[in-house]
Amino acid sequence: MTFPERPLSVLNLGLIEYARAMDVQRKVHREVTCGNSCDTLIVCEHPPVITFGRASKKSSLLVSEKAIRERGIEFCLTDRGGDVTYHGPGQAVFYPVFDLKGLKKDLHFFLRLLEESVIRPLRENFGLNAYRRQGMTGVWVGPYKVGFIGIGVRNWVTYHGISLNISVDIDPFSLIRPCGLDLKVGTMSNFFKDEISFKKICDMIVENIKQLVCEKGSFDEFLREPED
Amino acid sequence: MSTVKVYLPELGEGIAKATISYWYAEEGATVVEGSDLVEVSTDKAVFNVPAPCSGTLTQVVAHEGEVVGVGAVLAMVEEDTVSDSEEEEV
Repeated sequence: MTFPERPLSVLNLGLIEYARAMDVQRKVHREVTCGNSCDTLIVCEHPPVITFGRASKKSSLLVSEKAIRERGIEFCLTDRGGDVTYHGPGQAVFYPVFDLKGLKKDLHFFLRLLEESVIRPLRENFGLNAYRRQGMTGVWVGPYKVGFIGIGVRNWVTYHGISLNISVDIDPFSLIRPCGLDLKVGTMSNFFKDEISFKKICDMIVENIKQLVCEKGSFDEFLREPED
Repeated sequence: MSTVKVYLPELGEGIAKATISYWYAEEGATVVEGSDLVEVSTDKAVFNVPAPCSGTLTQVVAHEGEVVGVGAVLAMVEEDTVSDSEEEEV
């Protein structure tokens, strides 16, 4: 089945501090909201940072903010949904600034689309049994959570998005209860003997997001049953 | 002068309620149509509800931390009206 193409800009920021990336995201959000820009996908990595979402609880932080900073990790409050998470080099971060009025005005639809954007390439290109868990938004491989999601929506235009652990040092996740849960965190490099290409994975996910956005009508696939 | 109710809009299939997470304005404040009025959150998403008209936020019905259903009234806004004399000046 073929779908009509939808314009999508991709903005690759490389390794960029969290606060600076938020500034860029706010500017892009204004442009997309005004109709001056088409939907835009921001791709980047962040230096080590722990971010607190709107649903974060103090109990999700297992050490003090001071102890976090002493380890060279920044600490930021942010305006996305969800609880606490960690970003660091080797983790791909995707911030889709998409106008849902042209897709589907449905927060759950968009969360499922983000999950699918990572699940498909991990399954089809890397042979990993990536899946979603009902009621636990994110992407999982076996018992490990590898993809983390938190979004915001203003004027039905999205901000924030999804991060995928590719080769990131996952030790700093032990300082927090990621997503407010006691869960096992994984990174893709754990599943392969050979080095995996960060850029190659990012490119695959970008292409997949382009495809998924075009397939906006095929909503049913996003709702397929989890396989865990 | 007329009072306009602010409702929690439909947020998507299967989303029946949300938590009031942040009010951008306090009672008595002037609000501008389309600007952020209140932020609501679900598990992994925050959604900004805009002011439906320009005027004065006269009553906050649902407060931060409260869980509200889709279609619930969140606030009342007294809509600005342009007087005849002001209209003539424009």
